[in-house]
Amino acid sequence: MFEDFAYARPESVAQAAQLLQDETAHALAGGSDLLGCLRERIFPVKTIVSLSSLKELRGIARTAEGGLSLGALTTLAEVAGSTEVQTLYPGLAQAAAEVASPQLRNQGTLGGNLCQKTRCWYYRGDFDCLRKGGASCLAVHGENHLHCIFGGDACYMVHPSDTAPMLQALQATVWVAGPAGDRSLPLEQLFMPPAQDPTRETTLQPGELVTHIHLPPPMAGQQTSYRKVRARRSWDFALAGVALAVIIEDEIVTSCRMVLSGAAPFPWQATQAEALLTGAALTRERVRAAASAAMQGAEPLTHNAYKIELFKGIIQEELARLVRE
Amino acid sequence: MADSGYFDPVSPLIQPARPGEAPHPWGHTTLIGQRIPRVDAYERVSGAAVFPSDVQLPGMLHAAILHCPYAHAIVRRLETTRAKALPGVRDIITAETPEAKISWPYGEGYAPPLFDTQLRFEGEEVAAVAAETPWQAWDAVRALEVQFDERPAAVAERLALTEKAPNVHPGGNLARPIQTYARGDLGKGLAEAAVVLSGSFRTASQLHIPLERHGCVAMWDGDGLTVWESTQGVFPVQEQLAAVLGLPLTRVRVRGGYVGGGFGSKLQTSKYAVIAAILARRTGRPVKLFLSREQTMLSMGLRPAAIMEMQLAAKGDGSLTATSLSVLASGGAYGGAGSALVDWLAKDLYRCPNVRTELTDVMLHSQPARPFRAPGYPQGAWALEQMMDRLADALGMDPVALRLQNIPTVSQARDGSPAYTTTGLKACLEEGAAAFGWQESRQRTAAQPATFTTRRGVGMAACNWLVGGGFPPATVVLKLLGDGSIILNMGASDIGGGTKTIMAMVAAEELGVTLDRIHIEHADTATTQYATASGGSKTVPTEAPAVREAAQELKRQLLGWAAEELGVKAEALRYEGASIVVINHQEKKGKSPKRIAVTNLARLRQQRVAMGVGHKRANPKNKAICPFGAQFCEVEVNTLTGEVRVVRFLACHESGRVMNRLTYDCQVHGGVVMGTGFALTEARILDAASGKLCNRNLHDYKLPTMLDVATQTVSLPLKLPDDAANSAGAKGLGEPVVVPTAPAIANAVADALRPWQVRCTATPITPAALLQALAAAKEA
Repeated sequence: MFEDFAYARPESVAQAAQLLQDETAHALAGGSDLLGCLRERIFPVKTIVSLSSLKELRGIARTAEGGLSLGALTTLAEVAGSTEVQTLYPGLAQAAAEVASPQLRNQGTLGGNLCQKTRCWYYRGDFDCLRKGGASCLAVHGENHLHCIFGGDACYMVHPSDTAPMLQALQATVWVAGPAGDRSLPLEQLFMPPAQDPTRETTLQPGELVTHIHLPPPMAGQQTSYRKVRARRSWDFALAGVALAVIIEDEIVTSCRMVLSGAAPFPWQATQAEALLTGAALTRERVRAAASAAMQGAEPLTHNAYKIELFKGIIQEELARLVRE
Repeated sequence: MADSGYFDPVSPLIQPARPGEAPHPWGHTTLIGQRIPRVDAYERVSGAAVFPSDVQLPGMLHAAILHCPYAHAIVRRLETTRAKALPGVRDIITAETPEAKISWPYGEGYAPPLFDTQLRFEGEEVAAVAAETPWQAWDAVRALEVQFDERPAAVAERLALTEKAPNVHPGGNLARPIQTYARGDLGKGLAEAAVVLSGSFRTASQLHIPLERHGCVAMWDGDGLTVWESTQGVFPVQEQLAAVLGLPLTRVRVRGGYVGGGFGSKLQTSKYAVIAAILARRTGRPVKLFLSREQTMLSMGLRPAAIMEMQLAAKGDGSLTATSLSVLASGGAYGGAGSALVDWLAKDLYRCPNVRTELTDVMLHSQPARPFRAPGYPQGAWALEQMMDRLADALGMDPVALRLQNIPTVSQARDGSPAYTTTGLKACLEEGAAAFGWQESRQRTAAQPATFTTRRGVGMAACNWLVGGGFPPATVVLKLLGDGSIILNMGASDIGGGTKTIMAMVAAEELGVTLDRIHIEHADTATTQYATASGGSKTVPTEAPAVREAAQELKRQLLGWAAEELGVKAEALRYEGASIVVINHQEKKGKSPKRIAVTNLARLRQQRVAMGVGHKRANPKNKAICPFGAQFCEVEVNTLTGEVRVVRFLACHESGRVMNRLTYDCQVHGGVVMGTGFALTEARILDAASGKLCNRNLHDYKLPTMLDVATQTVSLPLKLPDDAANSAGAKGLGEPVVVPTAPAIANAVADALRPWQVRCTATPITPAALLQALAAAKEA
């Protein structure tokens, strides 16, 4: 059923990086996404590079600064269940807990959740989709109920991750190992906008793999949350999601980061809403205004205009919980 | 008194009626109606149960089918050389294979070749491969080189009827003349009404997703074919295979055993069984052929989408004066009635003198529809039961009161308007409403301020079902062995509803034996007796009376033997399970009545087996036998996000006698879950441009999860033994339970959104649909 492939289980990150330089080599972490891609033969796979021996990529540790370092192979269930995550970044524990189903959270990893492929049915299904090398995006004039309202260009997928928007709201840094050594980048730079390259999901270079995600220590008074709406209540990706990291001091919002899932081909930072909220008191009127601001410039397709109302709804709902009246 | 293997019944065992007569009605029962765990529960839970998909035979090959990847295409060329050369490949059959040059009867006059070069739906069979492993078979399918000529497809019902639409078959896409039904005078009914309402409704197509995929194992032994098939009925499969392969019935054996769900999609066999048989014949080895999940979703049937226009009119007191319904639907590419029975509830559920319905069936480049748990009914209920609620609102009446105002005593849709044997509709409405707390709940939801964004709503809907009483033929054999143990032999499949358990209970109730003494042989055309497929909610009302008849026959025989042996008349004897007793034997003090143990009967000791054969009798003439029900639910709607959460459900169903309270409740829960999926999450989505299925896996096709269904579902059976219906007093349950669920949810959602007068008229009620409806209402 699958194409023939070689299976390698490197003992070190350097070896893994070496093996992953081949474009037809793919990293296997939890496998919950890769297995489906293999079955559907979405892209050629000649070598599977299992990361299972790389124990150093697993687990959650405190950083010297007081933040957390999350190994890329930490399972989503471990992230959701970690007391430290729950205490320092409750929104991240929520986001990890909202992914898929219990079985998939036990198997799927944080690194895999960031690097997964889109769930667009034209990409996954038996269609000649642009991202797979086809002539054009079929969703743009097709069944685009689940597709993006922001950031679409050539491809109109939505990024499927629940943890990515929350990590972006928390200003996470991604550590990457590669043939040229280690480097770090802000999480938002991990994702490849389709305008730049509609055939790649990440900016990782051949041979690179995500090793850790670093979170800065939570700022005093920071409140975090992740809210997700989906077509069914388990085992489903977001129709719309909002990750919030907000600090309110003396009734005034001093810092606000709002990142949306289900909106764009990458986690969508609602900068206009952030700007509107920052420096002002959080009132019900401002909440409504922020929800509208977040949707400014949205470009819905034929079947997904509902997302505008939906995003406004969840943003209002989430911000309203912070209002003290 | 009872020796091991017999029990002391609560009430005396029922004695056989006179020869030729039906068994006496059960009065009080001992086992029947109790909560009895399934007789095969251990096998099912432990994994010991062998389903057809578990069958492994020595030397068995595995087969896979190449299906058409387009909604409409012509095969220009098919090259097998590369596939044949792959390791493990043993056979490939195509349209050119002599054995495969047979036609496949879809019905309604459509009998295309098994492998046609003109392909009319995505998923239609093109060729098949047999190989040593399933993976080799799938690899070989992929290696088949086919040149398809993709053609434009018609996949939308309304568009398919326009002039420019591509034809599925020559002569236009209207599948049959428009079917009309009329009684009374619709115009007069509309004229005398105080309120006339009209509305448009739509239900999405629901795909069949039984847990066990469709497939079989085929094996030849000389000239005889044995097929293990996951099926609801081994005999229809046998008949169809024999007809297509040109074999006598005696040379086709179909074995069912366990089946991992069917819901109507496994009432008959499919091309795969013929393909497996041909491959097995050609290779001389058993062949296993189970479809992939994608293939079952593409070709194993669906509940057709329905586009409905309805008009409902009533007097000021709520009495209905006129009902009209027009339906547009499709049975797919090969005829079939996509609209069948969609109008039945509109014609039959409520008393209404003036009714007109119109059913239009269109051909589409889409897989043939198949019966789907209560075919037609949930679609029709979606329209009718929402219209009833709108009517109640317009009249200022309570929805339950409006329905109570229109309870019929006869089946108006049937010729001659026969009376129902029993009707529990009124009682289901009243008792269901009382148990649910309907009045209080309505007051509570009405008192919610419009400013609440998280809102509760309550709703209800009612139903009946077409064939609740069962019907002939059915033959059951009961065998009593020398040690007093029993073999229950019946052809019917247990599709998960608990048929085996219930029939064992019937035999035990009649004979006084314990359940562990009963061995069940079923669903095998070679060793069990003819039964129709388990469908239509008719298995219990069909088979249970036959079991009773067989038990009566067996008891009569044992009484006859005892009479001979004891030198008394059979009428002077009483069957007491373990023994046979002489009636009125005035025992003196200390002297027990004269009795003989059944296992000590000389005739049994000599013959080693006693046998009773029972048949399902004809149904009573000029009577309609129907189950009824009413369901009530409470939902929570988030008006900011469009999310709907089903908080609680109460299902009050009248299906005659409750045979096994445990399996009864399972049916109710399963029906409500399936109906909840129909209401809230499930929809087949086709790419409009290509006609191809977008959501072809279990992630994209949204079956509800446990978090999507009500956390609290109460099953409240209305126990109303229907002795006129059949000797078990039971009517069907499996299908009615799915009928009112979706409109009950829709009515509850409408109740929650009352301040904006919003009603979702299309399934599924997704966050998208609800937000759009709300936005439109707020704008207006």
